[in-house]
Amino acid sequence: MNEHAQIPDAHAAGAAAEAAGEGFDAGTLLIGHIANSDPHHPLIPLPVVFGIDLSVTKHVFMLWVVAALVFVTVTLLVRGYLKRGMTAPTGAMNALEFIVEYVRDSIARPNLGSKWLMAWTPLLLTLFIFILAANAIGLVPIFEVLGLLNHYVLHASPDSFLGTLLHGGSTITANFNVTAALATITFFAVIIAGSRAHGFVQHWLNLAPKGLPPLLYLLLVPLELLSMFVRPFALTMRLAANMTGGHLAILAFLSFVFIFTETFSTALAGIGVGLLFSVPVSTGIYALEIIVVLVQAYVFTLLSAVFIGMAIHAHH
Amino acid sequence: MGEAASFVPFAYVGAALGIGMAVIGAGLGIGRLAAASAEAIARQPAAAAQITGATNLPLFLLEGAAIIAEVFCLLIVLMK
Repeated sequence: MNEHAQIPDAHAAGAAAEAAGEGFDAGTLLIGHIANSDPHHPLIPLPVVFGIDLSVTKHVFMLWVVAALVFVTVTLLVRGYLKRGMTAPTGAMNALEFIVEYVRDSIARPNLGSKWLMAWTPLLLTLFIFILAANAIGLVPIFEVLGLLNHYVLHASPDSFLGTLLHGGSTITANFNVTAALATITFFAVIIAGSRAHGFVQHWLNLAPKGLPPLLYLLLVPLELLSMFVRPFALTMRLAANMTGGHLAILAFLSFVFIFTETFSTALAGIGVGLLFSVPVSTGIYALEIIVVLVQAYVFTLLSAVFIGMAIHAHH
Repeated sequence: MGEAASFVPFAYVGAALGIGMAVIGAGLGIGRLAAASAEAIARQPAAAAQITGATNLPLFLLEGAAIIAEVFCLLIVLMK
């Protein structure tokens, strides 16, 4: 745990030494360590299709890395398990089985009921494992270590592939575009679930339950339509803001080292603040972040299951 | 109180007050949830798992509300 907190410390020390002439700009540093790379200087420039720039930026690259990692890990584990004859699982397969059973029994079954359980559990599992992996990989300071390597060994130019990858930002779920894509999946899953359970027209008619005074429909239907869009928006912002907030807090506390160094013009102040305050507090927040990573994956999956269940059981 | 053109400092005050109130609201709400669920489990320990499950969802919805408030306050500060 301590190495994770101290490595961004050391990297930021390198960056601050470079920027010593301009003073320490905490705001730019913090945002730079969480946000995507510059859209005008992408990692791999690709053509513009239908007005959408397909160029690969840092977060797109990390999306591919996370997806490949999850795909390879889960496929290898399950293939090995199937080849061994599907008896009691061992090792990492044990952990995967725990996750699958937890999502199926605690998240999917209470919300979907047994009839639609096997139809929607794969989607919920995919969401859970992908968000968990994306959140967790964001906690590992890959690009900060890369920055250290670059500063002392490689010296790549800021425009190269390596240069654009630098300065943090391996948390793809901190980007609200990524979480919006996941929430869009949930949005369409709810519509498809309701349509499969009740028929396409009846799913929309279920927005207004029978047996209410007519005046109430005037209020209820727009409210239901609005909530249909507000829910994915809330899913988006909840995940993105939770991930950003944790990293922002860690970086802010570590910035105190440089702010104090600058204010008192001696490195000793910075080191003192760092050892006594910044690094212990950042370590504590890192531990809290591990809990947040697990909880946010759980909440996204749980809410998706609840919304799908509400569409399926609309007639109560 | 200089020219009327410069309202930027008030944006910072607004954002700070906003996030403070959001945290107060979330704290009060989550505190009440926790108290109610602790009391319910004390009354009927056998239903502990169900009560925890029923508390989880409103807890995270409330936390989500506070986080969304934080996002908008951050937006005010960053976009001035």
